[in-house]
Amino acid sequence: MKIDPSFIWTALVQLLSAIPTTLVITAVSVTAGFVIGLITALLRIYKVPVLGQIATGYVTFIRGTPMLTHLLLIYFGLPMLLDALSAQFGWGFKSSSIPMIGFAFISFSITAGAYMAEVIRSGLLAVNRGQLEAAYSVGMTTPQALRRIVFPQALAVSLPNLSNSVIGMLHGSTLAFTVSVVEINAKAQIVASTNWKFFEAYLAAAVIFWGLTLLIERITAVIEKRINLYNRGGVA
Amino acid sequence: MGAPFDYTYIFSYFPKLLSTLGITLLIVAGSLLVGIIIGFLIALPRLYRIPVLNTLARVYVSFFRGTPILIQLFLFYYGLPEILKLVHIDISKAPVLVFVILTYGLHTGAFMSETIRASVTAVDRGQVEAAYAMGMKGHQAFTRIVLPQALAIAVPVFSNLVIALLKDTSLAFTLGVMEMTGKAETLGALTQHFVEAYISLALIYLVVSFTLEKLLLMAERRLLRHEQPDSTGNRRFRLQRKRGYRRLVAGIESGKGGAEA
Repeated sequence: MKIDPSFIWTALVQLLSAIPTTLVITAVSVTAGFVIGLITALLRIYKVPVLGQIATGYVTFIRGTPMLTHLLLIYFGLPMLLDALSAQFGWGFKSSSIPMIGFAFISFSITAGAYMAEVIRSGLLAVNRGQLEAAYSVGMTTPQALRRIVFPQALAVSLPNLSNSVIGMLHGSTLAFTVSVVEINAKAQIVASTNWKFFEAYLAAAVIFWGLTLLIERITAVIEKRINLYNRGGVA
Repeated sequence: MGAPFDYTYIFSYFPKLLSTLGITLLIVAGSLLVGIIIGFLIALPRLYRIPVLNTLARVYVSFFRGTPILIQLFLFYYGLPEILKLVHIDISKAPVLVFVILTYGLHTGAFMSETIRASVTAVDRGQVEAAYAMGMKGHQAFTRIVLPQALAIAVPVFSNLVIALLKDTSLAFTLGVMEMTGKAETLGALTQHFVEAYISLALIYLVVSFTLEKLLLMAERRLLRHEQPDSTGNRRFRLQRKRGYRRLVAGIESGKGGAEA
């Protein structure tokens, strides 16, 4: 087996078709994760009686176990649960109608949610308490104060962490191959084994991921510059 | 799919999975060792701004942080023997575990170098100057003054790295290493009780990462005992202002978030 440099390019071109799948998985899991994370973070910050503890447990559990186990648990556990429920209540719903990528969406969203929750929570806590008090003193309600005063500042603080979460989910999307979703990694595997050129194919995949990661970092830098405008020239 | 749920299997799987915990921990320990050595090697040119090596180190870190660990695993597993064949070294007979530890080591090394770099730069410049004023030599100032303080700063990030690494080892089964995840897969396939196997697997990971976290927290407390009692608050505040460092902590904390962990 000889290294064939020209095949790297061939593989790269073939892998391009799988980029949208990877990006869709990343986008869905990050978006859903952000919503889950926001809710979880608020539940924990406001120490809502029972829900707050559940939120803490959720974050601890997810952050203490590998992402792969979440995916496998959802992949094997969810159909079992759904089929049992639909048999119980006679829904006429079959779990086999869920597309494979659906499991990836659900499981990665749950994973992203826990990580995002920590990012958002630390961002919210980083906003000075006086800001909220000032908002109350000019007569805003809590949702108003959160939306107009706290969230924008928290977003600026947590942007680097958010970008890291996005990159983490981008890299995490490679796990989707275990539930036979053809994203970049799975595609690389297919290209590699049909041509018996493993190294070249994975090198091409690595190049694509590297490029995507650098792109996300670049975009974040631009957004960060823009979002931190208000913070220019302070003393702190 | 699979046999009906039976929670007793969760308990019966514990001892079976724990028998492979050793391999998981071996991968973690081995790659940490490789990672720390590489981390230092990569961090030094960047700290002392050595011309060419500095750029190389940056590319190295960028590559390992910019590509998924899973891709890296395959890349090294298939690529390394081929590259080494060009210089007539045959390692195709080497056990898979070697490749796995090497890849995780290189991966961790990239993150480790960032941790080391940031912790060393986070130590106040005045400390080194004071050490010089006392008549210490360069290496004395480093080992006696900078290193202990940098270590204390690095521990929280280091602790996240270790836990991320532990979770990353779950990917080693893709190369056929019989660690805990691989074992759980086999147990599931054998008995068709997949869910129970994975629940049991998740619980073990949870306990192990929880224990590691607590142990490293103890280490941090011990390393920080020279600071004032309220130091954690102050320290956090200082980190908030040091943007570079905050970014870095962030980078390692959640950059190693996803699968990736």
